Amino acid sequence: MKIPKLPAIGPTLWGIGVFLLVLGGLAPWIPRFTLTILVNLLIFAALAYSLNFITGLTGYVNFGHVVFMAVGAYTLGYTVGTIRLHPLGGVALGGLVALVLALGLGAVTLRFRGVYFAIASLVTPLAGLNIVLVLPALGGGQGIFLNIGFDPLSWFYTIWAIIAAEVGLTYWITHGRLGYGIRAIKSDEDAAKSLGVNAPRLKLFLFALSGLFAGATGGVYAWTTSGIIPEAAFDLTFSLRMLAMIVIGGMGTLLGPLIGAIAVYLPSRFFLTIFIGTESIIIGLVVILIALFVPGGIVGTLRKYVPELRRILE
Amino acid sequence: MPALEVLVTDLAFGLLLGCVFAVIAHGLNLIWGVAKIVNVAHGVFIMLGAYGAYFLNLYLGINPLLSAPVDAAIGLAVGVGFYFGFLHRELRGKESIAQQSEMVTLVATFGLALFISNLALRLWTGNFVGIPWSPGSIFVGFLQLPLGALYVAIASVAIIALTHIFLSRTYLGNAIRAYSQDIPATQLMGINPTFVAAVGTALGFSVTMAGGALLSVWLPVGINPGMGALYAPISFVIVVLGGPGKMWGSLVGGISLAVIIDVGQAFVGTSLATAIAFLTLIPILLFRPEGILR
Repeated sequence: MKIPKLPAIGPTLWGIGVFLLVLGGLAPWIPRFTLTILVNLLIFAALAYSLNFITGLTGYVNFGHVVFMAVGAYTLGYTVGTIRLHPLGGVALGGLVALVLALGLGAVTLRFRGVYFAIASLVTPLAGLNIVLVLPALGGGQGIFLNIGFDPLSWFYTIWAIIAAEVGLTYWITHGRLGYGIRAIKSDEDAAKSLGVNAPRLKLFLFALSGLFAGATGGVYAWTTSGIIPEAAFDLTFSLRMLAMIVIGGMGTLLGPLIGAIAVYLPSRFFLTIFIGTESIIIGLVVILIALFVPGGIVGTLRKYVPELRRILE
Repeated sequence: MPALEVLVTDLAFGLLLGCVFAVIAHGLNLIWGVAKIVNVAHGVFIMLGAYGAYFLNLYLGINPLLSAPVDAAIGLAVGVGFYFGFLHRELRGKESIAQQSEMVTLVATFGLALFISNLALRLWTGNFVGIPWSPGSIFVGFLQLPLGALYVAIASVAIIALTHIFLSRTYLGNAIRAYSQDIPATQLMGINPTFVAAVGTALGFSVTMAGGALLSVWLPVGINPGMGALYAPISFVIVVLGGPGKMWGSLVGGISLAVIIDVGQAFVGTSLATAIAFLTLIPILLFRPEGILR
């Protein structure tokens, strides 16, 4: 009998896996305040990974990713607020609703290329905000206030599971047959199509995945803040931060979103107490410099200039 | 069904607002048409134009209408700086812009938007500041139209007409249009592509900043560093509605959008009208990607 061999997996996946396992094992002993900071960091990392599916892997710049997060947050807010669903159910449902929205939205907007896609994605959160503002069921302009308590450990394990799933899926996608098709789309969509890559279906698949995870993360976010304020939920700054994270970390890489989230989020924690607003100035400057001069981000640059890392880092 | 007077008033205000929307989008349209890139930081330069008008009013006491030319002159310099900072590396020696360059400029100008708007927030705080200028109003039948808005509408149409005359009647303008159509052919005609692209971009920024000054007349409650986040998407939608690279398209798109918002709000309220105005983009992109105009 032939014994199936375990698939060999790359060192980066091992590294992230061990990191996540250690983090998960230590979580009950982490002080609560530190844990809430960690949860916030992981929320951003999860958002960055979700955006990485579409923008990092295919090169379709999505400025409106926050719309999925808002939909997830509102789903949790509505279901937990009215039918007293457990927040975990709200998170799962938030992901599903965002997935459906992504399928619908993607079926239309993914037909547009380049800047047209970027512009269409930019207006969706603005339209979404203005629609939510007139829906009394969703609290209109006041938003939804929930009383679901302070439970950092549950938040942590939920967002932990989301990130683990995202990392695993990113690896699976980039290392399989799908990965070749996606790289072909990123380099030249027309050429990819003429070689038989089903570009529309692949793009829609990735867009739906990115919506699913952003929605679930939005649910966790609403859970941690115990409510939703419409202007904050649809705040484009979230989209911009996610984009900054994957640009800085390295677009389309496995480790990039995590590194980017740490690089953007941790300094902002410190700047917050020193100069309000300075962090975004610095983030903006770093994004300009990286986009113009080091398009690979941190991970891409390390791979380019340190040959030893090329086989390890991805 | 709202009363007829209300509808006519909304329509009139929509037409006036549409002219100023058109001019802020026109700056974006010029850059888009010439360099084939979208400046995500467009809103920030509208904001800078509005602040230019504010400071000129604060220190020199001149009204926004007169500060528009000053802003336009500053915009020329800003545009040249922008071209050489952001676009030259991507456009130099290329026959058309590549997909990769498109993404680079999208992300880089997004960083620029983040940088400038937060720098402005730090320098000028997030408080709203207004420009005290109200030249009164005139009555047309039952319609009461503010004169400021009327002057601004005239100035906006004049700016668009002037750029049209420049682009269609002068040698340099024709060179810019040639560049936007076919770069190698332009070079064969002995035109320096870098110079022409830089002038076109500078013209776009000049119109954008002058538009910011004109827009400030419409915002008596005030301007603040975050205003770009609203007017940039509005400009994108207008350019797509009118058709990128079509000079009269800005006017058609601007007026359509403003009329949808102003008349729509009488039927469904401001929020839904704004949502509908933004979402018109999607059917237009699907069914008429070349814009409303042929």
